[in-house]
Amino acid sequence: MKKLSVALLAAIVLFASCSGTASSGKAKIGVTIYKFDDTFMSGVRRAIEANAAGKAELSIVDSQNQQPTQNDQIDTFLTQKVKALAINPVDRTAAGVIIEKAKAKNVPVVFFNREPLAEDMAKSDKVYYVGAKAEQSGTMQGEILAEYWKANPAADKNKDGKMQYIMLTGEPGHQDALLRTEYSIKALEAAGIAVDKLAEDTAMWNRVNGQEKMAAFLAKFGDKIEAVLCNNDDMALGAIEALKAAGYFDGKKYMPVVSVDATAPALDALEAGTLLGTVLNDADNQGKATFDLAFALAKGEDVTKAGWEITDGKYVWVPYQKVTKDNYKNFKK
Amino acid sequence: MPAIDATHGGTAGTLKRAREFASKNAIMLVLLALVLVIGVINASFFSLSNIRNIFIISSVRIIIALGIGGILITGGTDLSAGRTVGLASVIAASLLQRPDYADRMYRNLPLLPVIAPIALAVLAGLLVGLVNGLVVAKLKVPPFIATLGSMVIVYGAASIYVDRPPRGAQPIGGLRADFTRIGSGYLGPNGDISIPYLVLIAAAIIICYWIMLNKTRLGKNIYAIGGNPRAAAVSGVNVSKNLILVYVIAGALYGLAGALLAARTGGATNNYGQMYELDAIAACVIGGVSTSGGIGKVGGMITGVLIFEVLNNGLVILGVNAYWQQVIKGVIIIAAVAVDIRKYLAKR
Repeated sequence: MKKLSVALLAAIVLFASCSGTASSGKAKIGVTIYKFDDTFMSGVRRAIEANAAGKAELSIVDSQNQQPTQNDQIDTFLTQKVKALAINPVDRTAAGVIIEKAKAKNVPVVFFNREPLAEDMAKSDKVYYVGAKAEQSGTMQGEILAEYWKANPAADKNKDGKMQYIMLTGEPGHQDALLRTEYSIKALEAAGIAVDKLAEDTAMWNRVNGQEKMAAFLAKFGDKIEAVLCNNDDMALGAIEALKAAGYFDGKKYMPVVSVDATAPALDALEAGTLLGTVLNDADNQGKATFDLAFALAKGEDVTKAGWEITDGKYVWVPYQKVTKDNYKNFKK
Repeated sequence: MPAIDATHGGTAGTLKRAREFASKNAIMLVLLALVLVIGVINASFFSLSNIRNIFIISSVRIIIALGIGGILITGGTDLSAGRTVGLASVIAASLLQRPDYADRMYRNLPLLPVIAPIALAVLAGLLVGLVNGLVVAKLKVPPFIATLGSMVIVYGAASIYVDRPPRGAQPIGGLRADFTRIGSGYLGPNGDISIPYLVLIAAAIIICYWIMLNKTRLGKNIYAIGGNPRAAAVSGVNVSKNLILVYVIAGALYGLAGALLAARTGGATNNYGQMYELDAIAACVIGGVSTSGGIGKVGGMITGVLIFEVLNNGLVILGVNAYWQQVIKGVIIIAAVAVDIRKYLAKR
């Protein structure tokens, strides 16, 4: 009995100290993030928090990359009577169920960063989506590389008129990974560059795998490689470490490496000249737009006056931006 | 190993001896077969630079596997290893950023001697190990549960450490060259003909660990506890003290591995090391370490890690599709253990 009460007390103290402020009369908004340790999503999360400060009462939870967990969290939010939901789905095809749940309780939903299927979006008129067009990041990445290729004829090391490239992709099946892979190559082809894929493999978005896979490719292909495309910065930075170990970037040998995200370490690599270019997925504006919409909906206001251009009555598209050695300073914080 | 009763002469005897040899060294033969098959399909696998890559990548993994190996021999397990590697990597990286790096975590940090943050990372790992050891030995929580709990706690702690305003959970980059040199530097003339520092460090750790397991009282106690904890206690072994020590040593090794991983990759995030414990446990088991305790050798752990990394590297070199890589790895883990376990079954 005594032990039980001690455990109970400990649990209560823990929860009380973690749950933060209680109800304050401000509009309550429930936010789910598919996975807290995703670098980009934590940027979006910070932006949502910063924009909400003093205006709304936020409850942000980590869905731990599990859709069932997220569904439970949404049920909890709905029983807590939140005024609006901002959902970053784990699985975009699961949005239909979420929309129905919210509709039953008449709670508006703003999805962000992972786009639900159009047929699900059509299920309710109180559903919005904030995000970037993933294919645009691939296109811009390809354009940066195309520009370099055209300006530097020596980049075609074997003079066969084709770009021999390595592609490091994110998690297999991830929508962003698929689109970036596809559209970066499309942009190269659209610029009139013939391409020749030496290898494509997943490095699971992370730096350690990026380094290990690139080291293996360098052992296999050596100087045949003429360009490296990565679905995100972390993998590119890993690949750059492998390239450095193989004697690149010492003043004589160079390899164009392009990626997506524009994280702080990537900006540093741009400055050092090891990364050719990256594409900024604008976390700040995605977070701001998500909050602005959810806040307007929570207060029952007109979302078209929330300060964002709404396409097709439901979509806010936040544009990507190219980041290279010429403009990286503008993106430093 | 007892001597084989020799039935010399005749092909039957030779065959028997060959079979005995194959069964005793099955795991080495598996590794050899893998290397040969991959190398025959694609010769660049045998290039000096690729072999060097495999050793560099294995170095960090071996340090983790040794830590877990000792725990497995006591009959325990450690699920917190990977996350502890991650915690150590962010601690080391955050204290070793270049002063001119724009996104520094500690803006006014003076230039610390490289060894200090590495020591701190090792200390952090050691503390996690100490807590694991205390919970297992004193509170009698089963190791699987105890370390499952600490795995989650350590990951939370690493995330809290990294993810704070104003910078948020940005990856930690801009590491000092005198730190990353530990991960990328080597002894020797240049390039391919050289010994990477990481390999030297791993070799030193392997030697120390081998001595610890085979030549010290602690080592004997570890096997005794794993074989039969009650018998060990009756024969005067201080079980809880030895258990705590094993977890502490393992934690310190994870800490070192985390710092080395940050040095090698030139950065760190809170999800470094994710699932490394499972790779390490699998490598140990492939190397003949018994998950029910009492059995295991340092040589086996090393072979297990090498099999894993040869596979990882080989499948990439062969250009195998990412999904199939997973399937093949799983099949090889099961097959390798199935082959290796014959030697114990034969004894019965």
